[in-house]
Amino acid sequence: MISQWSLLLTTAVAVVEEVEEKGKLFDFDATLPLMMIQLVVLVLVLDALFYKPLGKVLDDRADYIRGGLGEAKARLAEAEELKTKYETELAQTRREANTVIATAKADAQKIAAGQIAETQQAAQVQREQAQQEIDKQKQSAFAALEPQIEALSRQILTKLLGAELVK
Amino acid sequence: MLDGLNITNSLPLAALEVGRHLYWRLGNFQIHGQVFLTSWFVIGLLVIAAVAATRNVQRIPRGIQNLMEYALEYIRNLAKDQIGEKEYRPWVPFIGTLFLFIFLSNWSGALLPWKLIHLPSGELAAPTNDINTTVALALLTSLAYFYAGFRKRGLGYMAKYLEPEPFMLPINILEDFTKPLSLSFRLFGNILADELVVGVLVLLVPFIVPIPVMLLGLFTSAIQALVFATLAGVYIHEALEGHGEGEEEH
Amino acid sequence: MNPTVAAASVIAAALAVGLASIGPGIGQGNAAGQAVEGIARQPEAEGKIRGTLILSLAFMESLTIYGLVVALILLFANPFA
Repeated sequence: MISQWSLLLTTAVAVVEEVEEKGKLFDFDATLPLMMIQLVVLVLVLDALFYKPLGKVLDDRADYIRGGLGEAKARLAEAEELKTKYETELAQTRREANTVIATAKADAQKIAAGQIAETQQAAQVQREQAQQEIDKQKQSAFAALEPQIEALSRQILTKLLGAELVK
Repeated sequence: MLDGLNITNSLPLAALEVGRHLYWRLGNFQIHGQVFLTSWFVIGLLVIAAVAATRNVQRIPRGIQNLMEYALEYIRNLAKDQIGEKEYRPWVPFIGTLFLFIFLSNWSGALLPWKLIHLPSGELAAPTNDINTTVALALLTSLAYFYAGFRKRGLGYMAKYLEPEPFMLPINILEDFTKPLSLSFRLFGNILADELVVGVLVLLVPFIVPIPVMLLGLFTSAIQALVFATLAGVYIHEALEGHGEGEEEH
Repeated sequence: MNPTVAAASVIAAALAVGLASIGPGIGQGNAAGQAVEGIARQPEAEGKIRGTLILSLAFMESLTIYGLVVALILLFANPFA
């Protein structure tokens, strides 16, 4: 407390002044009731001018914010719901796509296998045909060459032994 | 010593005057003119601020509206803390006006160089510097809590004088006198002491040295306004709720 | 004013303020110390502790102010003058 020592000084000063004029520190008079009336009027005036209108503004704003918050929350929930819906849809579509791909793959494989088998078969058939042809031609060639073998061997003989020995 | 003091007293800002008043006559009655002049200034300031804040209210507050909304919110929280969520609303204007009036009075006394305006007698200072003002405020608080108690609980309010034990009756009655007494003397003493300390320091060293004390004075002034409003809320709450849970403070 | 009464009043005024500031001084010291301890233990509660502390300090301070008021009565509104 600073007032401790400073009050000693105040005391001195005050005593000096008191000699001049008796001070009235606790001087109750009509100021008291008038001040009370004035303050009651102030309360009423400020209630009408300040507390009511501005309080209404504050409450309205609080309501507005609360309403906005509620709306935002509802929208958020809606968005959330939409999101989950889309997500499930997406998952389902993905699954469907997967099955489609799988079936397509299987089909393609089946087709490919079939074609390969067919082609192989065709090739087999052709090869066999070709083999037969070859065999046939070989045989015909053998058949055609048979008499020539005879003649050629006779010629070889005549060449080797001489014409007189042959026949 | 007397001469020395008289010389320092002749400095313009440093005169110490306690208990001198500018008397006005009103019919048969005397009133303190300087108190009314400064209180009218404070009231005018409040009304102007209120009108300026509410003249063109917007959802997004700016300028003075923002300031006054801050003040209102502060007051509402104060009242809510003391009286409780359920019943604080009708008491916001009363407690708020107490707070704003005392706060502005104290600060006007501490910040404005009233002493530059010369009066024939006495000097302009904070309205709360006068015992009449503080007693008026304290009596209004007493009336307010009596009104609160009687309106809420009717004559059953009287039963609180017998709580918690019937033999506490005299103490409980005495409390109704000590409450306004302590309220008014606390405010009056704090503000007067503050002005006296600043006055004495200015008298001794009229340069820089008094500034920390002046800042301390601003702080105490604000705190005293808060204390007065808080205690008014506590007393009203006590009257509304019964005797049990209120704090005993004098 | 009677010089004896004046002298006694001045001394009494000094004593009133001086003695009235002892108790609240101790009390305020206690309260502030406890508040600091509380803040040290729970730094997040600082705002609340500070508000309560200032309010209680103001209440203690007003005890000194009562002494001051008595002193002022003795000096400026002395009933025995």
